Amino acid sequence: MSDDGGIVFLLAAGPASAVGLYWLLYRHYRNTDKSHAFERETLVDTKPVTGADHKVDEIKGTRKTRIDDDNKTAHRTRVHRTREDTRRPP
Amino acid sequence: MSSAKPPPPPPPYTGPGSPRDVPPLPGASPIDPATLPRPIRDELTAPDPVAIDTAAEELKDGQNHCPKCGSTEIRQKTGTDLLVCVYCRHQWHATRVEEKFGLGTGLDQLEGTIIASGAQDIAADSESLMSYECTGCGAEVTVNTQTTMTARCHWCRHVFGVNEQVRNGAVPDAVLPFRITKDDAVARIRQFVDKRRMFALKAFKEEFTPENVVGVYLPYMIVDGKASAEVIGQGEIETRRYTRGSGNNKKTYYDADVYQVERRLDFTVDDLPLESSSERGNLDTGRNTNNIINTILPFDTKNAVKWNASYLVGFNSEKRDLDVAHLHPRLEDQLLSIARAKVEPSVDRYDRGVRWEQEGLDVHGTRWVSMYLPVWLYSYQEPGGKGSLLHYIAVNGRTGETMGSVPVQQWKLLLAALTVGTIVEAIALWIVVAVS
Repeated sequence: MSDDGGIVFLLAAGPASAVGLYWLLYRHYRNTDKSHAFERETLVDTKPVTGADHKVDEIKGTRKTRIDDDNKTAHRTRVHRTREDTRRPP
Repeated sequence: MSSAKPPPPPPPYTGPGSPRDVPPLPGASPIDPATLPRPIRDELTAPDPVAIDTAAEELKDGQNHCPKCGSTEIRQKTGTDLLVCVYCRHQWHATRVEEKFGLGTGLDQLEGTIIASGAQDIAADSESLMSYECTGCGAEVTVNTQTTMTARCHWCRHVFGVNEQVRNGAVPDAVLPFRITKDDAVARIRQFVDKRRMFALKAFKEEFTPENVVGVYLPYMIVDGKASAEVIGQGEIETRRYTRGSGNNKKTYYDADVYQVERRLDFTVDDLPLESSSERGNLDTGRNTNNIINTILPFDTKNAVKWNASYLVGFNSEKRDLDVAHLHPRLEDQLLSIARAKVEPSVDRYDRGVRWEQEGLDVHGTRWVSMYLPVWLYSYQEPGGKGSLLHYIAVNGRTGETMGSVPVQQWKLLLAALTVGTIVEAIALWIVVAVS
């Protein structure tokens, strides 16, 4: 193991496994991450999804493996609202 | 289902939060249990209590006087949706609201806000304590609707149920009767705790008496809705992956195309349940364990029957204290989350991910029905004064889905984590020394 990065990675394995096991067991007992999965447990009838895709840029030689602030699967993270619902009860 | 006059202006929304994380898929675990020590692995992989599949075909299917003999000794027949007269044993089924009020149809035509009579706004001067004149002997009977909906006249022994829809939030449109029996609920709670004993708080294990589980009818708003949503953001597709440098300086680089992505979706939701008690709707996991009760949703609300207080004999109940206007922001939040989940498959080609930046929602129409849903609730107050948590273990009174919060013995958990961490670190050091 001549790679400095590899040595650091190996030395970090101990603390990381301790934290990881604590976190895993804590969530197994306390279930703080659980809630009603209404996204997949509610009866939803959808019309076909419509939309558009336009190429706007190219990235060359980035070292990032993902897009910044990827929230494709973070369905409950709210982003800027373009309009408030006008039919909300007064 | 009648259209009602609009509710008065709502107070400023101080609404409850909800866990921001999308819950993990059932059985999903970030760490492979096979890599863990055997005792821990056995606990983690032990089976969960089995829940009844609500998609089962048989599941796709009140007056407090017995219609045959007139007796008021009416109870729910255990394990069924039937009411039975204790006096003459006559049995009958209450009217299902789904067919009676056409709740399962017309979602595509929903316009405006339709509020059922039991979901009307709570009057500001309403009180929980209600007095009635006993129809049997004329004596005054008081019912505290905060916790119960039935009482017995002390003089003539008539059973009295609150059936009229007074505007204090206590009488809903419908009730979904308990189907899971107490014995079944006790067994499920015991099974749930049995797979969480090793690191459980010692006092919790010593005082664990699942027989103390309480059947509670909790208040919910069941919402049908028709909405359109729009999301806009950017997505990236990897076009090339290559390495530069050599030896220890070898690094991976990526090229990608960036797209402006827009998606629109029209959709309807059927029977979305929202907690209509402000206390139960507060899902701040740092302060309470209400997320446990939230997790056992949904219920087979299609089988709910017209309100009849006789179903509540022997059970506790909690009163609704939130109106439609209070719950609308939470409905919008959930509709947006549903829309985001539904458009996800349409952006699969963006293998480097999508960053949604804007989202909009147009709610065309909603229909609100107030309902009592059955929950078996076991509670444990963690010792430790102010700030200590009240832990719940909850069983869905229809499907049997079980979820709970078991208090942990912190020193035990820390010791286990440190032990495993030390062993892993020792192995890592041995490898470092061996190869250097």
